[in-house]
Amino acid sequence: MTPRARVSIRGLAKTFGQGSREVPAVSAVSFDVHEREFVAIVGPSGCGKSTILNMIGGLIAPSGGEILVDGQRVTGAPPSQIGYVFQKDTVFPWRTVERNIALGLEYRNVPAEERTARVRKAIALAGLQGFEEAFPATLSGGMRQRVALMRSLVVDPEILLMDEPFGALDTHTKLDLHAELLSLWEAKRQTVIFVTHDLSEAITLADRVVVMTRRPGRIKLLHDVKLPRPRDVIRIRETDDYSREYQQIWHTLGEEFRAPP
Amino acid sequence: MTRDRLRVLAWQLLILVVVLGGWQYLTGLKAVSKTPGLYWIDPFFISRPSAIAERFVYLMSPSVRLTIWQMALSTVQSTVWGFLVGISTGFAAGLLLGRSDGLARVFEPYIVAFNSLPRIALVPLITMIFGFGLLAKIVLAWSIVFFIVFFNTFQGARSVDADLIHSARFLGASERQIMTSVIVPSALAWTFASLTPSISFALIGVVVGEFIGGESGGGLGYLIIQSLGTLNAADMMVALFVLGVIGIVMALGIKQVEARLLRWRPEYQKR
Repeated sequence: MTPRARVSIRGLAKTFGQGSREVPAVSAVSFDVHEREFVAIVGPSGCGKSTILNMIGGLIAPSGGEILVDGQRVTGAPPSQIGYVFQKDTVFPWRTVERNIALGLEYRNVPAEERTARVRKAIALAGLQGFEEAFPATLSGGMRQRVALMRSLVVDPEILLMDEPFGALDTHTKLDLHAELLSLWEAKRQTVIFVTHDLSEAITLADRVVVMTRRPGRIKLLHDVKLPRPRDVIRIRETDDYSREYQQIWHTLGEEFRAPP
Repeated sequence: MTRDRLRVLAWQLLILVVVLGGWQYLTGLKAVSKTPGLYWIDPFFISRPSAIAERFVYLMSPSVRLTIWQMALSTVQSTVWGFLVGISTGFAAGLLLGRSDGLARVFEPYIVAFNSLPRIALVPLITMIFGFGLLAKIVLAWSIVFFIVFFNTFQGARSVDADLIHSARFLGASERQIMTSVIVPSALAWTFASLTPSISFALIGVVVGEFIGGESGGGLGYLIIQSLGTLNAADMMVALFVLGVIGIVMALGIKQVEARLLRWRPEYQKR
């Protein structure tokens, strides 16, 4: 039995601007993301990968094609089973770490007692103990992104959209967060769509990699990553299997990066 | 206290002493010896510290019809009320128009027109409508504070980071929750930036109102204008001194409130 598709993308297209200034950003993109699957979308910058994610989240409307989340067509408002982690720092600067993570629970009117318990747990999971009362301005970029991640996860989204969440972090912090994300994901197995321009990040994390072409973004390749789980984000890079996966995709992706704009 | 702060304080005190001492000394020098009424610097116009202190003590005594405290209280009351009403209405209007493009476009020319009116020109009209009492002064202060706060809040409400709103929406926020948890706090940071100028302008508005408000409005502005009638520089100086103290205390109070409510901002973070 094939697992059920949670997100179906059919003939998705998006153009920005109007008339003679029309710029196609995404064209004819179709793929399914299944229950418990971790899919990464990689491509050169400007290929429309974030645009696809924004359309899945209902932030912008497609110009053509459709997106189904659990069989429901996405129109306008974000589907309630979706969580979203932005590349940009979206932690609320006027709230402490604790109260940032509690946001989603407050919005959903979760009783205070349960809220506190869940926030405590999330803080422990993210290794943020001791920073409960700290304001974001005093935290490093990596810690802020941890807060953003836990803020999304604490409401238990079934589908998690991540738009280059670790793009602004240094390599070391990035690896730490990869390990953390994977261990959190192993425990819950949310359906994840992860946008990145970093191929090694995609291979380390994902079950399947969607490789995009340059603008207008089309699907160049759908690649299954056949690396065993659970994965050790550092050791896995030293394995032959990883190198093989990397080279296979890099070969295709490289054409896109090299091609003249 | 660090040595650095002590040094600054010492300099500040020195300047105060030199200015007051110089003032007192120079206004006591006769131009032609023994000729009464001829001074190098005539205390008739700028008074002298000793005379000001004397008048200050006199104006504190309960025997005068309006003590300096009653007048100060009247000024402070009108300022604070005008300020509070100005902030709350300015904030509400700024938020409303800042989040509604339609309303903003409709009201824009009226707001710009009204705001470019010199507020002082409204004083006679406001007095005509609201009389000579406390209310007229409050309305005057309000009409100034409202626009300062309004424009700042408006800017703040317009420049709320769209991604913060999106992330709230993904966390399940309703439109109302987005308003209270995202838009109000981000706009507040802008509103606060307008509070310090607002309080000084509120004080200006009140004093101008008192200039023409007469005795029923009371206040330090009344003392100043009355002293002009009697050519009494010392009383004017007393009023100016008290106004200065009021201004400083109010500005410091706002700084305190600001530091408390904006404690999340990097500049208020103690690392």
